[in-house]
Amino acid sequence: MKLKALALALAGLAGLATVGLQVAQAKDTVKIAFIGPLTGGSAAAGVGGRNSALLAVQQRNADPAAKYTYDLVVLDDECKPNVGVQVATKAASDRAITAGITHYCSAVGIATVDTYAKFKLPVVVWGAILPEITYGNDYKQIHRVNGTMINEGRLAAKFLTEQGAKTFVVIHDTTDYGKGQNKYFSEFLKPTGGEIVATFPVSPDQQDFTAELTRIKELKPDYVFVGGLTPLGVRVRSQMDRLGIDAHMAGVSGIMTSGFIEGAAQSSEGTVSFHNGAPLSRYASGQAFSDAYAKAGFREDPDAYGPFAYSAANLIMDAVEKVGPDRAKITEVLNGTKGYKALVGEINFDNHRQNIVDANVYVVQDGKWVYWPDSDYGTGKRKLAGK
Amino acid sequence: MDMGILAQHLFNGLMLGMVYAMIAVGFSLFFGVLDVIKFSHGDVVSVGAFAALGGASAIGLLVDMPGLSLLFGLLAAIAVGGLAGVVIGGTLVLPLRNAPPVNVLLVTLMAGTILREAIRLGVPNGGNPKPFPVLLPQWQITAGSFSIGFDSVLILIAGIGIILATHLLITRTRIGLAIRAVAQDVDVARLAGIDFRRTVLGTFALGSALASVAGLMLGLYYREVNFSMGLVLGVIGFAAAVVGGLGSLLGPILGGFLFAFVQTLVTIVLPTASAYKDVVAFGVVIALIGLFPTGLIAERSSERV
Amino acid sequence: MRSTNLDAAIATGAPPQARSLPGTAAAILVPLAAFGALAGLLQVHEQWETGLLVLAFLAALVLLDRSRAGRSLAEACRTQSGIASTSAVLAALALLWTFREDHYSLLMVATVALYAVAGVGLNIQMAFGGIANFAAAAFFSIGAYTAAVLAGHTGLPHLLVLAAGGVVSALIGVVMLLPVLRTRGHYVALVTIAFGVLLRTLLEVNDTFGGPQGMKIPGFAPFGSDFGDVATIAGFDVSFYLPYALAAAALFALAFLAGRMLERSWVGIAMDAVRTDEIAASAFGLSPARWKATAFLTGNVLIGVAGALYGMMNGFVNPNGAGFGESLIMLSIIVLGGLGNFWGAIVAGAVIIILPEKLQSIQEYRLLIFAVVVIAILRFRPGGILPRPLRTLGRQQGGAS
Repeated sequence: MKLKALALALAGLAGLATVGLQVAQAKDTVKIAFIGPLTGGSAAAGVGGRNSALLAVQQRNADPAAKYTYDLVVLDDECKPNVGVQVATKAASDRAITAGITHYCSAVGIATVDTYAKFKLPVVVWGAILPEITYGNDYKQIHRVNGTMINEGRLAAKFLTEQGAKTFVVIHDTTDYGKGQNKYFSEFLKPTGGEIVATFPVSPDQQDFTAELTRIKELKPDYVFVGGLTPLGVRVRSQMDRLGIDAHMAGVSGIMTSGFIEGAAQSSEGTVSFHNGAPLSRYASGQAFSDAYAKAGFREDPDAYGPFAYSAANLIMDAVEKVGPDRAKITEVLNGTKGYKALVGEINFDNHRQNIVDANVYVVQDGKWVYWPDSDYGTGKRKLAGK
Repeated sequence: MDMGILAQHLFNGLMLGMVYAMIAVGFSLFFGVLDVIKFSHGDVVSVGAFAALGGASAIGLLVDMPGLSLLFGLLAAIAVGGLAGVVIGGTLVLPLRNAPPVNVLLVTLMAGTILREAIRLGVPNGGNPKPFPVLLPQWQITAGSFSIGFDSVLILIAGIGIILATHLLITRTRIGLAIRAVAQDVDVARLAGIDFRRTVLGTFALGSALASVAGLMLGLYYREVNFSMGLVLGVIGFAAAVVGGLGSLLGPILGGFLFAFVQTLVTIVLPTASAYKDVVAFGVVIALIGLFPTGLIAERSSERV
Repeated sequence: MRSTNLDAAIATGAPPQARSLPGTAAAILVPLAAFGALAGLLQVHEQWETGLLVLAFLAALVLLDRSRAGRSLAEACRTQSGIASTSAVLAALALLWTFREDHYSLLMVATVALYAVAGVGLNIQMAFGGIANFAAAAFFSIGAYTAAVLAGHTGLPHLLVLAAGGVVSALIGVVMLLPVLRTRGHYVALVTIAFGVLLRTLLEVNDTFGGPQGMKIPGFAPFGSDFGDVATIAGFDVSFYLPYALAAAALFALAFLAGRMLERSWVGIAMDAVRTDEIAASAFGLSPARWKATAFLTGNVLIGVAGALYGMMNGFVNPNGAGFGESLIMLSIIVLGGLGNFWGAIVAGAVIIILPEKLQSIQEYRLLIFAVVVIAILRFRPGGILPRPLRTLGRQQGGAS
């Protein structure tokens, strides 16, 4: 009898163990959407963000302590608002998807907020910097880990005037992005005493700036401030050289890409930019991210906003671990994010679910974007060329 | 405004007009021989720019001789651009000669998309702008506030030379005679023993090579090329050709310089409204078509009954 | 080419074939099969499934064209268009009801239907009036902007807002009438291209209508209740996109009927005559300017109305939608569908709007493949997927329709 009982108990234990093992092997799968531009002019940023989010998911899936298996559903918004609404609807109306890491392009980001709110899908914006995405509504579902162009504009005005610049010319594209950059830069420049002597709104796909730049040559500003993306920055920078304009150039985070340095080549030296992120080397786990990214074998760079997409993915997955794949509960957890330790530093959401971030200054030095305080220009070893 | 700045503006306008004219001439040539609009024409400009970039860089890797690089870049641009013209003309435009004209437009637009996407996906990191090597001497010509690169002057002179050469080719040579004959009356031209297919493809090669060389010159001038540079240029080139008068050679040149003149003028006169320069330029285009329905230099036979 | 169509039709004056039972069955089954394929396209997730469906579609096209059975099927649908249309309407309703809870599929279907309404308008301009309109998206956006201003800032009933979208779009079209009427062919194409670029730039640069961000548009609420709040119909849980899809389908049916009536009336014959040979038509006392203007403005009304509903469905409008690229998409739809064939606009709309979405996993290469597909279709089927049938004047003369 005893033996039989023992055998039974053993069998029971073995059974339990197998059940337990099966549970461990077949964790529930949780789907998270990633939406960004994977084709068209902004594809480099979108693909970098996708790779970074994918890396976060891969790392989590390799972690035996995680309660769920994660599946990243990648969608392309083409940087077009109407396509953005379509894919946002696709993601938000799919009950299997619990949260989203969404949008790089501001025009798309602002067009889709209503859709997410309507379907109650919690999303974390990873790249779009138009303030209105978080501040223009009171939707509980919309969060953002990266900063807005307000930060960049404020820092640009403060930093450039501190460098002794008095007169500025602004060239900005006529999209939301460029217009917003122009608005905040001009606003913050006023109290510092800096003067904008001319503003040139241009089309983002304009090729020739010689007419504008010839006017600028006549106006002799200290700085040309470019509110636009990489192609615009490259053209203005190369054509400034061609016309022999000796003003400095400063741009917003849209030009802080390796593409800018490649495109403008030697004339990119000394160009200043402002970006919401700090360099990876400044982050506590930056090196680990770089190493893991390199090891994962992605073809493309993470680009300037990759770390934010990575942080957004982790933020969401941690919320899922805490409360399970339930949209409402995840929204609640995300809303209350305070002091969350992420790759991009501590994440604190304000009452509009906007992360509070400081912008940083960068400069091109010897073909690389260098954190200003670390650069030869910042330490005073070199002087910016020009006057 | 002092004279130096004025001269600078004038020079910028001429440069821009020259590029527009080179592209517009192609549109006019194609329309002349085949009554079609080939909308991939703008993207042939980008193809030419990238072919030149490839040719010049390849030589640049072997020897440090800017002149030789430039020569190879030029040859690459002419060869690849001409080939693109012949392939598109032969496989897409000629077979669709009897289809509604809008089909040809759409097919060539899609061919342009293929060229554009092929550059974006085929060139490493093709989505980003690429620097164009400096291949011309970098002397500056300075007079007061007027300062201009010697290379810019060379590019402008070369462009005008090429346009003149094209004009001579069309008006003074046997090939030109064949092109003009086909443009005037296909059937009579055939009766006179002109090989229709060869003449048409030759015209496509010529027009496309022109656009391709324009791409090279844009690279030299702006020192930067990108995969979508041809898109806007195609639309402007088409506008210039139509406003000037399709089918003629002088018309598109006139149209090109006119378009550049309006754009430059708006930037000078209304600097804060420079974003409106395309609004004004295209508004002028609409108004001109309303006034001169078949272009400034009217088609020889606008009515074909 | 089209002139020979007309000549041949007048010469043969083909009387309608007698109705046969297999013919009727074919007229019922072909539309059912087409909508079944659409439902399949909406359902598929895997790439290979999409690929298979595209291959099946191309094969069906070839069969319809090249095989005798296929040709008689197509013929049956043409001669018994009433039965085929009824079958199509029922199939469409069944499709919408099947997908009643699927927001995304309904959004795509509604988008296709509204683009097809614009396609009918564009067809009237191009296939009937012979005016190449390269600014369709601009007029579509004008409709949406009108809806944004009127529905957002006035208490105008929403059905009138839709109508206003069409009217404003036509009124702005009037500005272009002079250059459009004074010239033809490629010159007209340029006028419309220039207008599209101009409008888009103006909307973006100038902040009167929201600048680059555009404007928000309230949801469509024709009888007091907002479509966006609809959650159940007759006790069934439905997506709020279902009423939009139904409204879009109804709008397409109206546009279809209006277009068909126009085509079959003497107005349509006058337009065909003017387009085919202006000089001969004026010799017969037809004023080319009048009929071209009619075609252009009627087309704009339809495009504008479609744009207004599209804007209300999406909830926003911005200058991006007015661009040259978007106009080309609309143009591709009607050329690919077959100039002058209204059903073609639905088929091609599904190909051009839904297919790229289903190709998401080939991401970067989508545009390239899309361009190749369009070239392949136009190269081997210059008349489009569903070419415009020959005009059979004999039937009209007989008084039956």
